[in-house]
Amino acid sequence: MKLGLYPKIAADGIRKNSRLYVPYIATCILMIAIFYIMHLLGFSDMLKNFEGASTAKDILQLGTIIMALFGTIFLFYTQSTLIKGRKKEFGLYNVLGMNRVNLGRILFFETALIWIISMTGGILAGIGLSKLAELGFTKMINSSVSYQFTVSTDSIATTVIVYSFIFLFIYLNALRQIWFTRTINLIHADKAGEKPPKANWVIGILGLIILLSGYTIALKIESPLSALAWFFIAVILIIVGTYLVLIAGSVLLCRILQKNKTYYYKTNHFVSVSSMAFRMKRNGAGLASICILLTMILVMISSTAALYFNREETLTTRYPKQINVTATNMGVLENSEEVISKMENAVSKCVKDFGAEITEDMSASYYGLSGYFDNNKTVDIDLDPYTTLSTTFDFDSVVQVYFFDVETYNRLNNKNETLSPGKILLSIDGNIQVDDEIIIGKKTFEVEKKVDYKDGKMKYAVGTSVVSTIVLIVDDLNEAVAAFSEYTDSRGEPMLVWKWTYDFDTNLDSKGQMELRGKIGSYIDDEPGVPDPVVYYSFSRDAERDDFVSTFGGLFFLGILLSIIFMVSCVLIIYYKQISEGFEDQSRFSIMQKVGMTKENIKKSINSQMLTVFFIPIIFACIHLATVLPIVHKLLLLFGHNNVPLLLITAGICVLICGLFYALTYKLTSNAYYKIVS
Amino acid sequence: MSLLEVSGVKKTYKARRGGASVEALKNVNFTVEKGEYVAIMGESGSGKTTLLNILAALDKATAGTVILDGMNLTTIKDAAIAKFRRDNLGYVFQDFNLLDTFTLEDNIYLPLVLAGKRHSEMKERLDKLAPSLGITDLLKKYPYEVSGGQKQRAAIARALITNPKIVLALMVTHSTKAASHASRVMFIKDGIIFHQIYKGNSTDTQMYQKISDTLNLLAQGGDLK
Repeated sequence: MKLGLYPKIAADGIRKNSRLYVPYIATCILMIAIFYIMHLLGFSDMLKNFEGASTAKDILQLGTIIMALFGTIFLFYTQSTLIKGRKKEFGLYNVLGMNRVNLGRILFFETALIWIISMTGGILAGIGLSKLAELGFTKMINSSVSYQFTVSTDSIATTVIVYSFIFLFIYLNALRQIWFTRTINLIHADKAGEKPPKANWVIGILGLIILLSGYTIALKIESPLSALAWFFIAVILIIVGTYLVLIAGSVLLCRILQKNKTYYYKTNHFVSVSSMAFRMKRNGAGLASICILLTMILVMISSTAALYFNREETLTTRYPKQINVTATNMGVLENSEEVISKMENAVSKCVKDFGAEITEDMSASYYGLSGYFDNNKTVDIDLDPYTTLSTTFDFDSVVQVYFFDVETYNRLNNKNETLSPGKILLSIDGNIQVDDEIIIGKKTFEVEKKVDYKDGKMKYAVGTSVVSTIVLIVDDLNEAVAAFSEYTDSRGEPMLVWKWTYDFDTNLDSKGQMELRGKIGSYIDDEPGVPDPVVYYSFSRDAERDDFVSTFGGLFFLGILLSIIFMVSCVLIIYYKQISEGFEDQSRFSIMQKVGMTKENIKKSINSQMLTVFFIPIIFACIHLATVLPIVHKLLLLFGHNNVPLLLITAGICVLICGLFYALTYKLTSNAYYKIVS
Repeated sequence: MSLLEVSGVKKTYKARRGGASVEALKNVNFTVEKGEYVAIMGESGSGKTTLLNILAALDKATAGTVILDGMNLTTIKDAAIAKFRRDNLGYVFQDFNLLDTFTLEDNIYLPLVLAGKRHSEMKERLDKLAPSLGITDLLKKYPYEVSGGQKQRAAIARALITNPKIVLALMVTHSTKAASHASRVMFIKDGIIFHQIYKGNSTDTQMYQKISDTLNLLAQGGDLK
């Protein structure tokens, strides 16, 4: 047999089955384009100038892996359906004298042809879409920062390699299906029907265990960024669990529905439940894919929207006044009061020389150190917490400890507290239980009273933190921290850090504020008596605002971009599912019409099918969202976002919009299905 | 009044792109009385399937009228056809048309489910019907798990379970070679129209008798003899 024959037969095979192959190839192209874009965002240097880039990139890299997994599963299932429909054709070739090696060759050329078309189309689409995204990106965020979407050869290469492997895998699976089926069964494949899958309890329970352990990890993680490894594990577990549970669970659901005679033998349910039962394995995989995509959309949009819409509040929490000056010193600063007054002098001189005046100000100094809470009222500081972390993975026990003096507390929070000798006021933010005493290192502090540092301006000084925060309000600051000056971390730096923040408003306009900020540095430099080790920075809130807008706007845009991509794949999956099922069901519905099924019955039956499976992915997606929301909240803390109600609101709105869009898609595609079967 | 009156039925298939059209049925006239078993035989291409499809309201005649129990099938509205077919006709298809997603039992229940009957009633009817067709043990199996003859019996059960006014069955001889109870009941040469069978006590011999008594030959597209 001439070799040129195989590509011809392969091409003919695809052309003749074009009504199924066209959507299949379209799906392949889109999957590849999505993978390319995700890889481009996650692995190239495109986002390098982008604040928060490392977090965004970590997440995008995870997304890339998920998309590859997802593509494999989806293409695997769709291609299995395609091959099943074509077994008869192969059986005929077999009868006409082709052996299995010949058939394998036809399959090979078919897969190769699809591979070439999808690869070319996918990468071109990916490049085109990323260019389009670039335009939107620069529109959305401040144009002074440019995020260039480039054509990355690295991303192209990775896409080609990954998808070549996926296609190879798919080819081997198709080969397996043809190779191990007897000729007679090939010929009768379309009539034979498959046995409805048995409800597999083992897979179902295994899936449930995996899913629940994913949930547990997700809910237990307190500090996701340092625990990024765990976070990824939780995500992977949830995805795998979702697939297993939905695949096994949906079969089980159909079996239960079929056992319930009064439900099953209803005109509307009879046809839909029985055909669902047959397709459920595939259906389950499709539903799980939809569910995962919906979850990703919900998480991304709700978190980035929360960040974006909360940017002003985040900004004012970080910079409560127009201008902020911060100074730090590693270790104890003996003459801190003197240093502070010198710097305050320098600032007020600078403001005066500028011809402006300070209308309101806020000054606070404190010591901070990080430690490791051992769950027994002791914070260990003789071991480097981050080194300990990498060996124990016990992220929840990392704490940030702050020391303020009682005068600062009273001033900032408008209190009038006094302390008995040797006692402290204690304020804790986080899951730490301490009662009447707390031991930091080897020093014991007796607690006089518990207070909440957040009920006043002190919260601005402390800031938002991803780890638990312990604030000790003491009588004499230097005396309290003296014992900790000897501790150093693994790099030999003192653990104890002194910090001073000074925030003030002026009578200047935005431009004036930014100009003034630029001058503050040289005034402090020129001020005698500010020791060299003290490092200081100055910020203007209005200048930072631009950064906030571009960072959060950029993230929000990324979220929208990825959500659109995921939504499109979601629509594609649903569309593909409906179309291919429609063609499968065509002959069934024609038989049923002969037996007396009306068009009305068909419509009702489709609706019933829709209602049974419609809610599953969205309900699961909502549960997933609810479970990962705490982590999302912690992740947002890294960006200084601490607005839980807003996050809940954006999540709620996202669920609503997503649900509506999903319903619309389902409705439209089920109309396409109806047209095919009637 | 006869149960079924077929008069002047013509069916012409138009060929595509102006080719010669084919006259499948030229002028068919016959009647079936209540309780009568009619067999229609003919060579391939003589128009048996066309005639049956018209009688089952699956197809429209080009000319002529078909009146079943006073209802004119040639003028019946499309929307009403499905319900009419469900309530009045039992149809055994040549290739049985069993659904591969259903067990034989569910296949047999299908018309009753579509008619909105209760499960208990469906079960009661099937319990009466199944033993006479010898399919009691096969009910939980799927179509691809049983033989052609067994499928045929399930198809017959599906046609009978609605207690139709008339049963239309189209069968090929070799399908009935299996000397099973059911195929003897349904013995026919090439095609059969029979009505209200199996209501109670008609025995096999009577069936044979009846069928052979009213044997009709459908000539090539022509009249019934």
